Amino acid sequence: MQGLLFIAPAVLFLGLLLIYPLVYTIVLSFADTNAKLEIVDWVGFENYTNLFTNDKEFLDLDSFPPTGAFVNNLKWVVLYTSLSLALGLLIAVLAARVRYEAFLKAIVFIPMAISATAVAIIWKFVYDPDPDIGSLNALITLFGGEAQAWYGREDLVNYALIWAYIWASTGFAMVVLSAALKGISEEVIEAARTDGASEWDIFRRIQLPLLSLPIAVVTVWLLINVIKVFDIIYVLTGGGPGGASEVIAFSMYDETFTNGEAGYGATVAVVMLLLIIPIMAFNIRRFRSERVTQ
Amino acid sequence: MKRRWFIPAAVLAAMALALGACGGDDGGGTEEGDGEVTIFSLWTGSEEEAFKKVLTQFTEETGIRTKYEAARDFLPVIRTRLNAGNPPEVGILPRPGFVDELARDEALIPLEDLGLDVDAINENYGDTWIDLATFEDTAYGVVAKANSKSTVWYKPNSFQQNGFEVPQTWDQLEQIVQSYKSKGEVPWAVGAQGRDSSWTLTDWFEQIYIRTAGGDNYDKLFSGELPFNDATVKEALEIMLQQVNNENVLNGVDGALSLSFQDAITRVFGTNPQAEMHMLGGFTGGIAIGANPDLKPGETIDFFPFPTIKEEHGDPLVGSGDVAAAFVNNEDVAELLEFLSTPEAGRTWVSTGAIVSPNKGVPDDAYPNDLVRKEADQVKNAESFRFDGSDLLPGTLGQDFGTLLQNIIKNPNNVDSLLDDYQAEAEQAFS
Repeated sequence: MQGLLFIAPAVLFLGLLLIYPLVYTIVLSFADTNAKLEIVDWVGFENYTNLFTNDKEFLDLDSFPPTGAFVNNLKWVVLYTSLSLALGLLIAVLAARVRYEAFLKAIVFIPMAISATAVAIIWKFVYDPDPDIGSLNALITLFGGEAQAWYGREDLVNYALIWAYIWASTGFAMVVLSAALKGISEEVIEAARTDGASEWDIFRRIQLPLLSLPIAVVTVWLLINVIKVFDIIYVLTGGGPGGASEVIAFSMYDETFTNGEAGYGATVAVVMLLLIIPIMAFNIRRFRSERVTQ
Repeated sequence: MKRRWFIPAAVLAAMALALGACGGDDGGGTEEGDGEVTIFSLWTGSEEEAFKKVLTQFTEETGIRTKYEAARDFLPVIRTRLNAGNPPEVGILPRPGFVDELARDEALIPLEDLGLDVDAINENYGDTWIDLATFEDTAYGVVAKANSKSTVWYKPNSFQQNGFEVPQTWDQLEQIVQSYKSKGEVPWAVGAQGRDSSWTLTDWFEQIYIRTAGGDNYDKLFSGELPFNDATVKEALEIMLQQVNNENVLNGVDGALSLSFQDAITRVFGTNPQAEMHMLGGFTGGIAIGANPDLKPGETIDFFPFPTIKEEHGDPLVGSGDVAAAFVNNEDVAELLEFLSTPEAGRTWVSTGAIVSPNKGVPDDAYPNDLVRKEADQVKNAESFRFDGSDLLPGTLGQDFGTLLQNIIKNPNNVDSLLDDYQAEAEQAFS
């Protein structure tokens, strides 16, 4: 009885704030709403079929390579996750070898403390096409190059955004991996060195395998982050130019609030949920197996 | 183990707070007001201050207090508040498209239901303005302010130095553009970035379209009767691309797509100018002078009406306006809407220099400077008037029209397929 009483508040909280909205969103995705976001009609799977076949902003398979918010999110998943992880790992490994390690790690970590909106505003200035304002273009023109419209060009804007977000997130990967690195016993590494292993061998064969769990943790965090990325895009480019930088979460916002189609927006939300579920399943299984082996 | 009691206790306390805070409210619906009216719009900065002067006058005359709120993401906030049953009592809707959409779903209170004399109110306005606030023959609001968008901003001193005369026709404008280029000057600054400034391109298109295709086609196009991949649309786009291209615009098309409209204005009229002219609505003057107070209307900043293109379609005015509408039915709201429709309110408002009033009862001398007066004259004396097209489109179609034009100036060779795609979306939205 006492046990039930202890968990009752948490269950109530979760029920109200997590389960109920989840179920309602799924229900909403099968409906049509009016301007006041009230359900007025049930449309079955129509929202889903429209989303994947009829919505060029979301997924456009007619052009090659395919475009659309869905495709953009895939770019994010691949580039953001891999680069944030790689950079974080690189910095963690290199920082451990210098005297000013704490200082270096602090600098890399500071962007984590900034909200995504602030990150967007900072980088909006950095990417400004006017070399008198934008630091990146100022640097480029200093070396004789031509100033670019980093977020004005369809072909550059996504990469510009991804890089800004990597800058803000690498600190997390670095901190987790750095702590994990320090957990690796020095004796093992010394032993390897005396056996004649090069630094690269040590990295590849000792450190990397022992880091596999922290890497998985960081990867999961990054993946979840990137599937729901929204604020940096909304503030920096508003989905532009011409919708080239839209992502899934952005579509959800746009359809629900600007268009008043909350049912359609809920459909996008459900798609996001379906994308995240495999990642969460993998995460849970991973932790379970780790617990068992310990 | 013993310490753990405070965790569930804290959670319970937090829950109680949360549940208490989300209690609903009555949301009005009674006939008597409570002595205060909440108003919601997307105006901030100087526009907000100007409007607040009008509200202060209202409070002085009627004793009803007002509470003003603003949000940039106007429509999302309105939708969620309506859904929660907690809308603001009065909303200033920036597009007639919203009036139709909200009225259709019965979110707005017709003026008659508020107990107002619709005929008396409509006496103050011309027909086109009344239409904006009407849906299916019922009046839902009061047109609060108006703007001319058929204005091209330039520097009179620069024209004088170069021996240019104010152009009346498109060909004359083209000559000036070529002259500027031959002297190494950049003719235009365009700010069409992202979601917030893409509408500047729709303004370009609308001015050109109505002068090449005529008022009737304009009406049909923006009400869904004429398809967007029609030949008249392509013709207007071709003409638009004669000016909005890599040769004539500051930093080319890419530059235009990275610049907000405010920044584009400062690129022409700021302290470090990089371009000569700017095609945008009457409010440009206010923004330019706000950014660079040294500007002298008539000398270093002025506008000329958008030139004619095809003689038979003459010099029509394309403009915009905001509609004040009621979400809640009570006496205070009715009094506020009535007040906003009077020439007195219009006078106070225009004296701030922030707006042009479509109210017939507002005299010219109420305007504080020449630029606004000139715009007011343009509005009042227009041969014919049309509302900004993209603002008439429903749902996201208006926003997407700006996106479409962004894509077109980037990929002028793909005009046909881009228009076909947009037309498909339009057909769905209009059905």
